[in-house]
Amino acid sequence: MARRNLFHAVVSLVLAGAASAADVQVVKAGAGKASLDMAGFTARGPYSELVRTVLENDLKRSGWFELSGSGGAVVIQGSATDQDGRIAVTCQAAARANAQVFMRRAYGEPSSSARRLAHAIADDVVRAVKGVPGIASTRIAMVGMRNGSKEIYICDYDGEGLTQLTHDRSICLTPSWSPDGSWLAYTAFLRSYPDVYGIDLASGQRRRIAGFPGLNAGPDISRDGRTIALTLSKDGNPELYTLDSRSGRPTRLTNTRTAVEASPTWSPDGRQIAFVSDKSGRPQVYVMDRSGGEAIRITFRGSENAAPDWGPDGRIVFSSRREGNYQLCVYDPSARTETQVTSGPHDYEDPSWAPNGRHVVCSRTSGYHSEVYVLDTAGDAPIRLHAVPGEWYSPAWSPSRATE
Amino acid sequence: MSRQQVRLALFVMVLLAVASAGCRRPWRRGAAADPDFLQTTALGEQDIPLGERMADGIPVADFTAANVQFAYDSFQVAPTEAPKVESVADYMRRNGDVRLVIEGHCDERGSREYNMALGEHRALAVRAYLVGLGIDAQRVQTRSLGEESPIDPGHDERAWWFNRRAEFKLFR
Repeated sequence: MARRNLFHAVVSLVLAGAASAADVQVVKAGAGKASLDMAGFTARGPYSELVRTVLENDLKRSGWFELSGSGGAVVIQGSATDQDGRIAVTCQAAARANAQVFMRRAYGEPSSSARRLAHAIADDVVRAVKGVPGIASTRIAMVGMRNGSKEIYICDYDGEGLTQLTHDRSICLTPSWSPDGSWLAYTAFLRSYPDVYGIDLASGQRRRIAGFPGLNAGPDISRDGRTIALTLSKDGNPELYTLDSRSGRPTRLTNTRTAVEASPTWSPDGRQIAFVSDKSGRPQVYVMDRSGGEAIRITFRGSENAAPDWGPDGRIVFSSRREGNYQLCVYDPSARTETQVTSGPHDYEDPSWAPNGRHVVCSRTSGYHSEVYVLDTAGDAPIRLHAVPGEWYSPAWSPSRATE
Repeated sequence: MSRQQVRLALFVMVLLAVASAGCRRPWRRGAAADPDFLQTTALGEQDIPLGERMADGIPVADFTAANVQFAYDSFQVAPTEAPKVESVADYMRRNGDVRLVIEGHCDERGSREYNMALGEHRALAVRAYLVGLGIDAQRVQTRSLGEESPIDPGHDERAWWFNRRAEFKLFR
């Protein structure tokens, strides 16, 4: 709703023809950053100052830019001004070399929405200059353990605005976003057994999605929102099932009497599911058709491989036990290659892709203390999401908010 | 005695008790050394579907069952643990009104989501063993807590050993 305000109801006129994304050469992940000159973007008033600061931080965090005082290849010009409880912004992004204008746009928002406004501008700049979706307007859900109970929390992608979503005073596990970002599925012990629930973010209203005898856990919602993949044990063994979200009817996918299946994640086209099975003796990652059948093992290095998340560009990130620590690895199904993206004496677990297919959020455990970190698979240093006291883990990155 | 020492003493006592129980009562005529035999026997011929959930009743007060311990990343009921399950079966046979929830737990290592499934697998393996001993499957439910509810907050081998367990919750 807020997003709609931003894009439709409020001033949002394109002043000049923005360069189409097709004109812009997209820099491949791992390639150098463009230098950015923001000296020509002025801010007048405290809220406008905040917009400028957040915008700068967003553009840095996007991974595509590095700030240079002046002489940057990409020049951001414009102004932000506080006016009667509102912020008025004009913003232009252009190439220094040939003066090509990537975008020029005006924005207006109440002062209370300064951060959201800056995030929207940052995403527009990233899309116009680099031709890729930004992540500045996304959010991250996670489990937080404070005062003994394990509840679901949500914050902005930069760790700001952390809020507690559930107040179950129970154990909540593994939140998973709906494709439209309006609700989460998660596992909780509200009736003393592990059941799967859905919670609406706007209303906070909760409904039970799966409450079969035994285990109901690890939900992942298909990208069309119609089917939920999860683990159930009602038939006597922990196996993978899909659940029709309308009828609630389960369909069994696996049949491994001496093994368990867990952590399903849908492929971007919804035709396949990656998951964990220990049928080889240790947990490993497999890929299977959405209706079941033969499962193809895709992990062969590391003594254990678990917690896969299938990203929007088709790559699968998972955690792998390597020389005593859990590290994150990325598997590319089209090239059948595997790349380790973390190293060092920490445990990196429970990864979740950002909708840009470049950044990953995960838990990092060090000295038995767990925090949430944002990683850049193209090389930037990991950033701690927030520093609020507590144990923080099982993060899930939201989809992009609906675009204009 | 410090808390650590108490824990160590307890650990040794449990080991001794399990070992001596194993000596007194070999598992099914000479098959004690064969874990494969035990596993297949414990699991039975096919999966045993879970019945409808039961509301927890009044906890049983006249019997305390020892926790079944597990090897790392394993759901097998080891021969040393079998007498614990058998004593629960004996009690349930003598007390036809008693129902059971088996809670499966894991140590803190590994993926939380996988550990939820592994904890359930442990509980189901114990249940299958009980059913093999003649206990009605409808009297037994399972509940996994994964790695979410450790009884030992430590981060060493001994704590992990205590935490990899199935607990018996008996109700009337």
